[in-house]
Amino acid sequence: METSFALIGKGYVIVAADTTSARSIVKMKNDEDKIKTVSPHLLMTYSGEPGDTVQFAEYIERNLRLYQIRNIYPLRPAAASSWIRRSLAESLRSRHPYSVNLLLGGYDTSLSEPKLYWIDYLGTVTEVPFAAHGYGSYFVLSLMDRYHDPEAPLEEGLETLKKCIQEVSKRLIVSPERYKVKIVDKDGVRDIDL
Amino acid sequence: MADMVSIPHSQPQQHQFNPYTENGGTILAIAGADFSVIAGDTRQSEGYSIQTRYAPKVFRLTDKAVLAVNGFAADGNMFVKKVRQRLEWYRHAHAKDMPIRAIARLIQTMLYSRRFFPYYVYNILGGIEEDGTGAVYSFDPVGSYEREACRAAGAAQSLVQPFLDNQIYFKNQTPAPGTSFPGHLSLSTVLSLVIDSFTSATERHIEVGDGLEMYIVLAKNSPSIQSLRDIRGMSELTATEDGERVFVVRRDLKKD
Amino acid sequence: MSIMEYNGGSVIAMAGKDCVAIASDLRLGNQMLSISSNFQRVFPVTDRIYIGLPGLATDVTTLRERFRLRVNMYTIKEEREIEPEAFTHLVSSTLYEHRFGPYFISPVVAGISKTPTGGIKPFIAATDLIGCINFAKDFVVSGTASSKLFGVAEGLWEPDLGPEDLFETISQTLLNAVDRDAFSGWGAVVHVITKDQVITRKLKARMD
Repeated sequence: METSFALIGKGYVIVAADTTSARSIVKMKNDEDKIKTVSPHLLMTYSGEPGDTVQFAEYIERNLRLYQIRNIYPLRPAAASSWIRRSLAESLRSRHPYSVNLLLGGYDTSLSEPKLYWIDYLGTVTEVPFAAHGYGSYFVLSLMDRYHDPEAPLEEGLETLKKCIQEVSKRLIVSPERYKVKIVDKDGVRDIDL
Repeated sequence: MADMVSIPHSQPQQHQFNPYTENGGTILAIAGADFSVIAGDTRQSEGYSIQTRYAPKVFRLTDKAVLAVNGFAADGNMFVKKVRQRLEWYRHAHAKDMPIRAIARLIQTMLYSRRFFPYYVYNILGGIEEDGTGAVYSFDPVGSYEREACRAAGAAQSLVQPFLDNQIYFKNQTPAPGTSFPGHLSLSTVLSLVIDSFTSATERHIEVGDGLEMYIVLAKNSPSIQSLRDIRGMSELTATEDGERVFVVRRDLKKD
Repeated sequence: MSIMEYNGGSVIAMAGKDCVAIASDLRLGNQMLSISSNFQRVFPVTDRIYIGLPGLATDVTTLRERFRLRVNMYTIKEEREIEPEAFTHLVSSTLYEHRFGPYFISPVVAGISKTPTGGIKPFIAATDLIGCINFAKDFVVSGTASSKLFGVAEGLWEPDLGPEDLFETISQTLLNAVDRDAFSGWGAVVHVITKDQVITRKLKARMD
């Protein structure tokens, strides 16, 4: 089942999402990238109703890009989270709500701080040191309660992430086999091969 | 040919008899070093109607054990009757009162014997242990039980229990530097807390009120008897010369 | 599954002598799974009015934004700060506008209001999710631990408490109530509002 998680460390955010694309009981694809780079220092994982996810993620991506074109500067993570939340909250009480859950990890270049927001399809937003969505969250959150350190260097953060991935593959029946991992820090966004 | 009676298009109807109701009210028990206080309000209601303003929920079993029952009143009364019957048989067989920890185990087996058609009752048993300490045993309807220092049950359990956590167990409190919390509370403190708990519950819960009955069980030669001297509306119920003494205090609660 | 209990959380407000206090827990959950231990649901409205918004977390944010807009519009049009009584009616009418498709929040308002004679008066109020107001003289409670809060507050509260005693009373009430509620807890925050300052303190709580 779909699983995504993210955690903050010293000057960075690590964001991970599984790469399976499933329809009912059938695995259609196992190399889907479900982490969008929505602006130079902002990553967004998306999961939920197939169809809604990509549609909504692209809507967010294009609008944040439009903002940057118009204003030169991109939205900072806090402002982006507010705007995304408002989009979801308005969608929730419309005739066809998007059912998309997000993790928004970014680096605030003005504050020189990493930021992470947990967002669900209802439009609930909360800033957190680590977060997860999907069935994996039931295993991973307790693990990160134990091992997460907001001051940890990147290597240590990645070790914690590996522990999370191992735990999910060990204990979740329908566990994903592959994950995409991305990092955002002061230098922007980059992919990581575990 | 006999008349044919046809029932036009009648849907099959299902009737279900529900053998249970909930009769409101709240019970509460607190154990001290050498005493135990077991209390309950006396209102009995069904839905928004008050059936009676005086229906006791707390019963003296022996001179060292008092049982409070809350939930479905008919089951409660029948259960107390059966417990008393078993205690009488015990008395005839052994020529003494059953110790409270044995009563607690007896109640468990009696409740669990009805595991699949339970007495819809929450029980709290209070009294004096064989070693002379105050005891409170609380039960769920199918017999899970535990010895504790205090317990509230019934309609206003959610109102009273956190208050007791704070005032009896001193939860979320730290003693002032150089001091410590009292190991055991005095009888007068406990009685004040019981009265406060029930006036609070009466104020905010519609199913609690009318009257309050507090049973006080004292250990042999307990010095706590001193603090009972100036209690208003108290009477003694002690039946034997064993040494433990049982008292009851009746108070009015708001009737609205 | 009740929508009002989906995210958990509780708020309480108490009146004292020339002061009021409002307090809340900090948990955000998805039913039994805790997501965050730093979810604020009490917000300043003016220098001497605070509002607590327990209920569905998405509506906490939506309503906070809505109230900020409507209070700003009021301040601009009236050229004065809104009083707690007026603000409570603003809250009520905002909620009642959505009578048949409500926001799943039952707010608590705490503030200090001015009397016509130039004095001050502590003010607390709560509404249900469609805006029915409860003006109380002593205390108001709301959220998943409301029944527990009622019980403890009724036992601990007394009239005319000063700021420090009121702080202790509201803190003890909240902590002991949320410790008996599976959906509330994970830290708490208390604001004590007096005529010339607001004291905000974070409380350590059980983390289970």
